[in-house]
Amino acid sequence: MLYILILLLGGAFSYFGPWWTIAPVSFVICFCLPQKPSAAFWTSAFAGVTLWVGYSVYLHIGADTDLTARVAGIFTAGVPALADMPAIALVVILATLVVAPVSGFAGLAGVKIRQLIRSSL
Amino acid sequence: MKLVRHLWPLLVALMLMYMFHRSWGVIPPLGKLFNPFVGFLQNAEQGSGIRDGEIVLAGLRGAVTVWYDDNAVPHIFAQNDDDLYFAQGYVIAKDRLWQMEFYSLVAAGRLTEVVGPGALEYDRYNRRIGMARTAANITEKLKNDTVANRILTAYAAGVNAYIDQLAARDLPVEYKLLNYKPERWSPYKSILMLMNMRHTLSGGSYDYRLTNVLTEYGPDVMADLFPDYPAIESPIVPQGTPWAFSPLAVPAAPNVVAAPPDTTLLAFHVPEPRPEVGSNNWAVGGRKSATGLPILANDPHLQLTLPSIWYQMQLSSPNENVYGVALPGTPAIIIGFNKDVAWGVTNTGSDVMDFYRIRFRDATLRTYWHDGQWKPTTRYIETYRMKDGSKVLDTLYYTHQGPIVYHEKRSTNYSSNIPVGYAMRWIANETDGADLLTFHYLNRATDYEDYREALTYFTAPAQNFVFSSNGGDIAIVSNGKLPLKWKEQGKYLLDGTLGAHDWQGWIPREQNPGVKNPPRGFVSSANQFPADTTYPYYLDWRFAHSSRAIRINERLDAMMHATADSLRVLQNDNYNVDARRILPRLLTSLALNDSIRQSAEYAALARWNYRNDADAVGASIFENWLDDLLRGIWGDEFPAEKRLLYPSLDRTFELINNEPGAKWFDRVDTPDTIETIDDIVHGSFKTAMAKLRERFGELSARTWAWANVKQTRIAHLVPNFTSFGRKNILNGGGSGVVNATSRTHGPSWRMVVQLDTDWPVAYGLYPGGQSGNPGSKYYDNMIDRWAAGQLDTLLFMKRVDEQSERLLHRTSLKPKNQ
Repeated sequence: MLYILILLLGGAFSYFGPWWTIAPVSFVICFCLPQKPSAAFWTSAFAGVTLWVGYSVYLHIGADTDLTARVAGIFTAGVPALADMPAIALVVILATLVVAPVSGFAGLAGVKIRQLIRSSL
Repeated sequence: MKLVRHLWPLLVALMLMYMFHRSWGVIPPLGKLFNPFVGFLQNAEQGSGIRDGEIVLAGLRGAVTVWYDDNAVPHIFAQNDDDLYFAQGYVIAKDRLWQMEFYSLVAAGRLTEVVGPGALEYDRYNRRIGMARTAANITEKLKNDTVANRILTAYAAGVNAYIDQLAARDLPVEYKLLNYKPERWSPYKSILMLMNMRHTLSGGSYDYRLTNVLTEYGPDVMADLFPDYPAIESPIVPQGTPWAFSPLAVPAAPNVVAAPPDTTLLAFHVPEPRPEVGSNNWAVGGRKSATGLPILANDPHLQLTLPSIWYQMQLSSPNENVYGVALPGTPAIIIGFNKDVAWGVTNTGSDVMDFYRIRFRDATLRTYWHDGQWKPTTRYIETYRMKDGSKVLDTLYYTHQGPIVYHEKRSTNYSSNIPVGYAMRWIANETDGADLLTFHYLNRATDYEDYREALTYFTAPAQNFVFSSNGGDIAIVSNGKLPLKWKEQGKYLLDGTLGAHDWQGWIPREQNPGVKNPPRGFVSSANQFPADTTYPYYLDWRFAHSSRAIRINERLDAMMHATADSLRVLQNDNYNVDARRILPRLLTSLALNDSIRQSAEYAALARWNYRNDADAVGASIFENWLDDLLRGIWGDEFPAEKRLLYPSLDRTFELINNEPGAKWFDRVDTPDTIETIDDIVHGSFKTAMAKLRERFGELSARTWAWANVKQTRIAHLVPNFTSFGRKNILNGGGSGVVNATSRTHGPSWRMVVQLDTDWPVAYGLYPGGQSGNPGSKYYDNMIDRWAAGQLDTLLFMKRVDEQSERLLHRTSLKPKNQ
């Protein structure tokens, strides 16, 4: 449920919002729906990754040119070891490294702030 | 404690967001870049990336229709000229916004703002040679020119209409990678674009190194090795053409012609005129063409870049209908054709950059001595903003000649070959004229008179404007402001205290070299001398090496029943005139050495047909050997560390062929032996072959093939973005052959226009693509056809409702409130 909600609302808002839109979405949803902290972290992270990686792969496959390889090439230019990796894999890894902690910690923060407010009341 | 326990995830999340939001050194903002909703993947286009439909734009007066053809070339149909230039700005921005802004930042010396302090010295150089200030002054002056101002304003409004509706996700990918946003466009920025061309095409100088030669060897050696006209030349205005004007009195040369530096401190580097930045153009008249009407060809050679320097388009309004290439950021078509005429340009390359040794009264640099009195300098403070917002200030002084480019030695100076304390007089800093009006009026020209009228607006960089009309005229004029000089004025560094060393006015424009309908039936240029020694004015002691010009003129002389395809073939001609001129003598010399005569390299060279074709091994050997040969002959007397210039190829070839006993062949560093020309030839050949073997292994048809050795590449404008460029393009050519494709430079646009009384037929293409987006299939789609020497048939529409299956998309630009 949490996963689906973050995925759907995250996707909808990301279409209009800045790149970090997934963070407030995870935060608010985890604030509103009581969760265990670990579940909030991992579900938010996983939903964020699904959203970013899923849409990335979709755009990559649908494109008529391999922009992914060109952009990945900028990152692997000085690192021959990475040059043999498929470009989309590199993009997936980097996207995951960005969105997982951002979304995860935002979700966790939602739970923790909820706890803080509750315990203060 | 409780607070910390509950707040830390929020703090971590915010910290991560901050971290991924900004760039760190060369690392781009990873969050923005890899979020698929706003990041680079939004630039990965499906299909053509062009949408049919309607776009409402504030600022348009009437509706504008833009057709896109199968090569993504826009055909713009507007109902008035304001809307035409508005739409041109809008459409170019849509494909090339990042590129045009990048060029404007280069010319303005503002790259530090987007790439950081690493660009500071480059910026300082561009700022200190005066480009930004001159662009601002020109823009200010053009505000009083109703025609130019209207064009520039409408164009800028069109670019801004595009910027205004640009969502973050649609930003060109370079903005996302470098993490900045486009500024609004303005007429000033369009002028900056033209300043870049002035810089590229007239921003070179030999003055310092020649002054060193004069100091080292004296005037007799100068006259012998650095003469004012080559031994073999084929000038633009055919030899023997009478000059139909009474020339002005040429100022007398003063006793003192050079002002060597009184210091060994070097301050900055001015590039030498670049042989690879040259171009070809020609037009054959009806007597030589199969159609009985002129055919015109042009291929400007520039550094090969992605996005491409040119952008193809058709511009149509009730007052004009023109097709050709535009410079992104600049209104109008620069090289092109309309129903009646066609025109093209090559660089004239005369000496329009001189340096003056300035005598300051004291260290404050406030006053300098000139023509018998102390005169005040003008002082400017330049401010450079860094990417992080910090500022660097820099003081710049001007004399009446121009900027003191550097007045102090600083180890960080971009690189050095000009002494400190010299002021620069440079044509690029002239603020009169309106270059863009030349193109505006050429776009709508109908005959020779219109062409000559259009040329009068042009200042710099002087260009050889070739012209043809369906009235049957062909013509070429070296057009632009040319300083009136005494003979050899500015061949050396000049003395800023002498009034006689100032530029002495201008050559009357109508007396610039030019020719109309010459008896030989064609006109042509390849950056060579505009005229032979009968021309009454001094232009320069040296122009581009004559090899391309000689070949073009030989071929055109011999050509009858020329078709557009004959001219295409000539554009791709790989014949090496230098090899024909010098190689027989060199082979004779090589054959005297047994080990060389029996080598595979010698055999390949002897077999070579003088063509720099892609598979030619002989071309690889000849071209690579030439550098070592020159070094072998001149390296001892003119060593690089003394910053002396080598004599020209033409003079060197004359020496080899006709003066084999010259003392210059004897090496000065071996006092006990007397080397002959043969010793130099053998030694340099062995050195060059050893280098080739080191790079490509033992001689083989594949690895030593010219295309493989030359390795033409087309790089992205950001040097670090290597994966945005193309490497290992396999083609023939060379900087001295008509197909002037070297490793990094080459024909940046090839065009052939066959005029007709009804409707012209035109062909063209450039090494790149219409889109500046590396995620578009139109980013580099013309490169392979270009490398193969093909041309596209250009779709030149008569009317907006013309039917063609090549028209794929239609965009309607509609004015707001209508």
